[in-house]
Amino acid sequence: MPGRKPAAPKDSTLCRRCQINEPAITTKVVKRMDSFRVKHSDPGQERVLLLPLSFGACSTTLLYLLSEHMKGQVERTGRSGYKLHVLHVDEGFNSDDNASRMQLDTVKERFPEHTYSLSSLAEVTSMEGITSMFKQEAEHENQESSTPPLSMNELLSFLTSATSRTDTLQILRRRLITTFAKIHGCESILWAHSTTRLAEVTLAETAKGRGASIPWLVSDTSSPHGIQYFYPMRELLTKEIIAFSSLVEPPLIELIVRDVAKPAVSTKNTSIDDLMRQYFESVEREYPSIVANVVRTTGKLQAPEVREAEERCELCEMPLGEEAPARSRLCYGCIRTLPWVEN
Amino acid sequence: MLPHPCEICKIARAQILRPKNSSRICAPCFTALFEAEAAETIIANNLFQPGERVAIGASGVLASVLKTLNERHDWKLDLVLLSIDEGIQGYRDHSLEAVKRNGADLDLPLKIVSYEELYGWSMDQVVAQIGKKGNCTYCGVFRRQALDRGAAMLNVGHVVTGHNVDDVAETVLMNLLRGDLPRLSRGTSIVTSTPSAVPQSGAQNGEKAVLFTNVKRSKPLMYAYEKEIVLYAHHKKLDYFSTECLYSPEAFRGSARTLIKNLERIRPESIMDVVRSGVDMAKLVPGSTSNCKGECSNGSTAKVASADDEEADGGCGSGTASNGSDSMADMEMKLQQNERAEANGTETEVSMPERKAEATSMGVPHNHETYLSLSPSGSTSGEVPGGLCAAKTAIIPMRTKEEKRSSRKPARDAAAPKQRLGQCERCGYLSSQAVCKACVLLDGLNKARPRTGVEVGGGD
Repeated sequence: MPGRKPAAPKDSTLCRRCQINEPAITTKVVKRMDSFRVKHSDPGQERVLLLPLSFGACSTTLLYLLSEHMKGQVERTGRSGYKLHVLHVDEGFNSDDNASRMQLDTVKERFPEHTYSLSSLAEVTSMEGITSMFKQEAEHENQESSTPPLSMNELLSFLTSATSRTDTLQILRRRLITTFAKIHGCESILWAHSTTRLAEVTLAETAKGRGASIPWLVSDTSSPHGIQYFYPMRELLTKEIIAFSSLVEPPLIELIVRDVAKPAVSTKNTSIDDLMRQYFESVEREYPSIVANVVRTTGKLQAPEVREAEERCELCEMPLGEEAPARSRLCYGCIRTLPWVEN
Repeated sequence: MLPHPCEICKIARAQILRPKNSSRICAPCFTALFEAEAAETIIANNLFQPGERVAIGASGVLASVLKTLNERHDWKLDLVLLSIDEGIQGYRDHSLEAVKRNGADLDLPLKIVSYEELYGWSMDQVVAQIGKKGNCTYCGVFRRQALDRGAAMLNVGHVVTGHNVDDVAETVLMNLLRGDLPRLSRGTSIVTSTPSAVPQSGAQNGEKAVLFTNVKRSKPLMYAYEKEIVLYAHHKKLDYFSTECLYSPEAFRGSARTLIKNLERIRPESIMDVVRSGVDMAKLVPGSTSNCKGECSNGSTAKVASADDEEADGGCGSGTASNGSDSMADMEMKLQQNERAEANGTETEVSMPERKAEATSMGVPHNHETYLSLSPSGSTSGEVPGGLCAAKTAIIPMRTKEEKRSSRKPARDAAAPKQRLGQCERCGYLSSQAVCKACVLLDGLNKARPRTGVEVGGGD
């Protein structure tokens, strides 16, 4: 931009790493938060944004960066432009242990200024329509209709492949978070997807036949679920974020729960999402700009106008459009994912 | 354990597990079904006119299927085989033998068009000249024309190619990886040429014969799995060949291919789903000029390039025909340069000589647009497009900076400008520029070739 100075002035007393990485990382995220500047909100009426926290490097780093951003806003103007509501969705359906709760408390100690909530993915089965969708199948299987709602394990047992399970879990998680945000008066959801993650999503959704909904899943737009999605980390690679999270003082490492990478035993147990993650992990190593280019390009796809009355897919809630398979209330991708639905 | 009976005839033992829908069927049912599905695709898309003369690009299976269907449905098609010889030893020479055998078996006339005879250069010679890098550019541009010219020699207005669903899915993933939205839609459409866009300057080629600028392309097997094509060939005892081009290492296509094969292992149906997604996403591509900012809103006819050097993504990683960065490493380098320039706030110095050369050369690099669009188009860059316009075509008037500024915005929002296809002034091939890309590439090649007649005529 003409006449505009680089956001971070170079300080010659800093080492190269700090000169280049740190300000760049911060600026890239802050730039994306432009619509949440102080001047866009009235005093006393901060906008509430939901930040889903998985305890992964990306979401934890985003929480850190935004906390700093808000501090900066307060320093400069005496108030901040938004408030954060941090939500962790617990996915251990079997264990009642308090690991998630304790982890969330640790995070809360570090960043006490935000509101925190803990939810369980199992709650999704009590959401409208979910159990009945899967229960039809349950009744099909055994005549005595199980009393609603289904347990998460029951629900997952109907999904026969790794891809179906991962895909369904993702959709349900997104629905749960979106519903939570709406109930708690959040204006937008800030997803911590990195560039690498968004590229994975793009190709994975393509391979799952969900090409039509990609613009809603990877760009900063109002999602068809009636709430804005933002991806403030969209210009950062996963490896950059991980490197950054170790540079922060005090380190974020103890707040981050690392995925125990399960080695793929056989392709049968690998899901399409796993495949794409592995693929982009390797592409990111050698060709980081290509990863970024994928995201930049798919960001240019235009989401079609969503009409209020338009029919939505029962599972993923994406508009069915004109392309909906006849007599179906599911989109093409969801038909593929639910094994009992006839193609 | 009892063997599974065929799901269709219920009698014979199932021999085949279809990747498309995991059904188990026997071989005779499979071949019948395979043919029926091909017929369905052809009829549903209205690919052929009754009595049409059709050239079949090298594919034994497609030839066999079409011949069978032609007789069965009485389409009265006049079928000929057309094969391109790129002149790559160890790659094409074997498959040409197979094509010859297939032609003899099916009793169809065969025409082989070689790069050597069309351009005076075989791919082996081109590679000897320019090295292993970037030669896909040549091959892609040459092949596109070669098929059209071969078809015109045979007086055929329609070429069918053997692209299968794996190929199409590969193209979708490849174009996503390369960030090439405009090609997303073309790769997934079953008929690819746009004869209507061609100005019929009939006066120039007065005869009634098929013009090589007006050849339709289609992919009747684009919904068939590669695996099933191999199976069909096996059960019909046809020669099937599939060799990777020796000269396309590390290309995007290779990466996409690996990904497709892995996807197939996880969920065979996903290949079809990729194509489906590609079709859906193509509809979301914003009005074609939106991702080439300064360049084409300045009035250049950039989009035309897509028509005139549309990839003929036959064997190799030729899709990148227009910009020469067929390897991921090359593209990575270019993208990084852009990023660096952006980070420093400097103008992107895409080296001028190169750009001029490319611009005058006409092959308006549509992939390049993506790179260029990433660069901040500041004040000084204003001169560049202006200079380009002047150099490129006479059609576009030079505009002052103010005019350009004022016209830039609306132009970007406006609907895609109509493509302006012209013809190459040397060879007459479709081109948005005065001289087509193939002629330009040939010029470059010929310049370096020693003028001693012995060498040229040698044809080693």
